[in-house]
Amino acid sequence: MKKIYLVLFILTGLVASAQEFDKNLVTARTSYSSGDLENARFAMEAMLRDLDMAIGKEILKMLPAQMGALKANVKEDNLSGGTNAAGLFVQRNYGAAPRQAELEIINNSPLMNSIGAIVNNPMLGGMMSNDNQKVIKIQGYKSLLNKNVDTETGKTNYELQIPLSNTLVTLKLNDTNENEITGFGNSIPLAKIAQIAQ
Amino acid sequence: MLALTILTSTLASAQILNKLKGKGEQKAGEAIDNLFSGKKKKPADQSSTNTNGTTTDTSNNSTGSPSNKSGGGLVSTPPDVKQNLDDAEVAYKKLSYGESRYSVQQAMLGVELEIGNKILKSLPETISGLKKEEGADQVTSTGYGWVGLTILRKYNDGKEKELRVTVANNSVWMSAVNMYLTSGGYAQQTGGEQNWKQTKVKGNRAIIEYDESSGYKLSVPVGQSSLLVYEGVNFASENEMMTAANAVDIDGIKKQLGEK
Repeated sequence: MKKIYLVLFILTGLVASAQEFDKNLVTARTSYSSGDLENARFAMEAMLRDLDMAIGKEILKMLPAQMGALKANVKEDNLSGGTNAAGLFVQRNYGAAPRQAELEIINNSPLMNSIGAIVNNPMLGGMMSNDNQKVIKIQGYKSLLNKNVDTETGKTNYELQIPLSNTLVTLKLNDTNENEITGFGNSIPLAKIAQIAQ
Repeated sequence: MLALTILTSTLASAQILNKLKGKGEQKAGEAIDNLFSGKKKKPADQSSTNTNGTTTDTSNNSTGSPSNKSGGGLVSTPPDVKQNLDDAEVAYKKLSYGESRYSVQQAMLGVELEIGNKILKSLPETISGLKKEEGADQVTSTGYGWVGLTILRKYNDGKEKELRVTVANNSVWMSAVNMYLTSGGYAQQTGGEQNWKQTKVKGNRAIIEYDESSGYKLSVPVGQSSLLVYEGVNFASENEMMTAANAVDIDGIKKQLGEK
């Protein structure tokens, strides 16, 4: 019975999204035809947001339900907000404090250029490489691994940043080690995300 | 007499040294250019791009590969808005959201280019005796909407005086300018000289700056997300700059951008 309600809930959400897209599409078409270019543009911006939401939902379906012993907090999944007010934004948390993993997938992040420069430039990557930062590969994608030791607790936290063309995947995990975070990174379907988010 | 001879000789040596130094620097610069570009520059090199997009390059590459001397450039056709909206709908129904988004972005690009061209047409042909620079009009759009549409028009007198008018639909720039306007400070002075101050252009609050190397810059936030920037090179005074800025119909541009 619960499954039926869940399916109905998802279908309702999908239908509502489709209706919004269709509505904005009609507005874009009629505004453009009548020469109201600014309103046409506004409607298209709304269409882009609808599409980002749809893509975000597809990505959430692809993400692992669990990372190691940390289960996904599906109720806290976030498809909007953050500093990138326009563009794809997907956030999912795993586990609970004090041991938690946070996964973020953002389109057109302002960090892309700087991270891309470090992972793609051997000289720069080498210069930046130290005990706390290095360039590694996750499923063949060059990635930046940052380590941070909490001076109060003595615990080691890691952040993995994986640039995929114009999408940035960031995985943060506290109280962990390099093997564990790279293992979690390898459980993310990066190729599929790269394909759908571009 | 001896002192005069020594002085003349010293001056001559200094001149020779300066010339040698200049040559040395020029050679060093050329060497660096060769390292990075692989091309050796000749003094007669010139390349230009006209408004039709045709680029000609008269340089000769010393490696023996042919250099491009002709070409049709790129076809500057804006994206077909209606076709892209149709494509977006088809892709959405097939659940190809990435494809659909690409089509919507192309459609938005097309619309923004049309808006940009309309605004350019509404700008005057001449401002304060400066004529519009043919072929320099620019409309830039990324198709991401919020990131911005930028429109540029240049005016000059064919010599050293130039006015650049930029219309930007860019929320990031707006934040920077609004910061000046709301900071409460009226002006900034360095060494007794005023570098920027608040002013008004056709009733709109604005910031005017002056820099010895770049000239005047007048920034006028318009509505919620647009900004007009006037850059005046070799304008004689602030008044002259303000007179030029007042020639632009800000309200008309506001309306075309959908600003209130």
